[in-house]
Amino acid sequence: MPDTATDIDPRLLEILVCPLTKGPLSYDRTRHELLSAQAGLAYPVRDGIPIMLVDEARSLSDDEKAALAGKA
Amino acid sequence: MSTSQNTYTAAHYGPRAQDYVTSKDHSTGEDLDQIEAELRGANLSRALDLGCGGGHVSYRAAPHVGSVVACDVTQDMLDIVIKEAARRGLNNITVEKAAAENLPFPDGAFDAVLSRFTTHHWPDMEAGLRQARRVLKQGGRAMFIDVFAPAERVLDTHLQTVELLRDVSHVRNYAMAEWLAALARSGFAVERLSTRKMRMEFPAWVARTRTPEPHVSAIRSLQQGAPAIVTDYFAIGPDGSFNLDATTFIAHAQ
Repeated sequence: MPDTATDIDPRLLEILVCPLTKGPLSYDRTRHELLSAQAGLAYPVRDGIPIMLVDEARSLSDDEKAALAGKA
Repeated sequence: MSTSQNTYTAAHYGPRAQDYVTSKDHSTGEDLDQIEAELRGANLSRALDLGCGGGHVSYRAAPHVGSVVACDVTQDMLDIVIKEAARRGLNNITVEKAAAENLPFPDGAFDAVLSRFTTHHWPDMEAGLRQARRVLKQGGRAMFIDVFAPAERVLDTHLQTVELLRDVSHVRNYAMAEWLAALARSGFAVERLSTRKMRMEFPAWVARTRTPEPHVSAIRSLQQGAPAIVTDYFAIGPDGSFNLDATTFIAHAQ
């Protein structure tokens, strides 16, 4: 079950794209991260607030990139 | 460079976030009335409050639009906007941390972009304006409100200097000609603009930014030694209070 107190607002999720590539994002509910396959970055969601800054994003590992590519 | 300036600004504004919710200079003003007048009855679906700060634009806009997305680079401002929106019962405001120069929205996502007293902080003003245009629908409404610099160089230099001394994250107040050229180049058609004088009460003005004492003294020294053209134009008072020029641009996306 997603934690509603810290989960991202679904209305926001609808319109967010990667700030770097403007490509789509997929939401990892368990880790509270928005994943950009094109940029290879994970943007954290803290207390329900998406942190859409490249500076604060985490680089995806090769395994994570492969897993994302597999889903696409 | 641009991101580090945003981080610098965020670090600078974080501890002072609450002051911007309660600041009378920020929470009231005819420009907020202008925003409401522009949105009321326009039946717009989604608005972006770009560089939301204490969230005053969002609170005014929310009753008149379907939803508001408020973004800023300062986390503490966003935390406060969430709390304040809830306290006011405005449940159509969502917040996110984003920089104007790299907006995380698809093209044409918004019916309106509203931006108040924030462009002077952007590391790259024109990149921010281009992004604002990109995320707007064709014909979408835009309102940009900010301090602007006088055309005379000596006045401009005085203004930028006292602004930087007061707030080390200050980037630039643009002159009217710079604003109009940048808006046109970024794809905005300006329909109307208005200007007004805002009286800055010196003690409150430096208290809000927690300006360190040596900088306060430097500002006072500059003011006291300024030529008549400067003291007259800014109407610098005995305590350092003075007038700032603010402008509102009402435009649409071409």
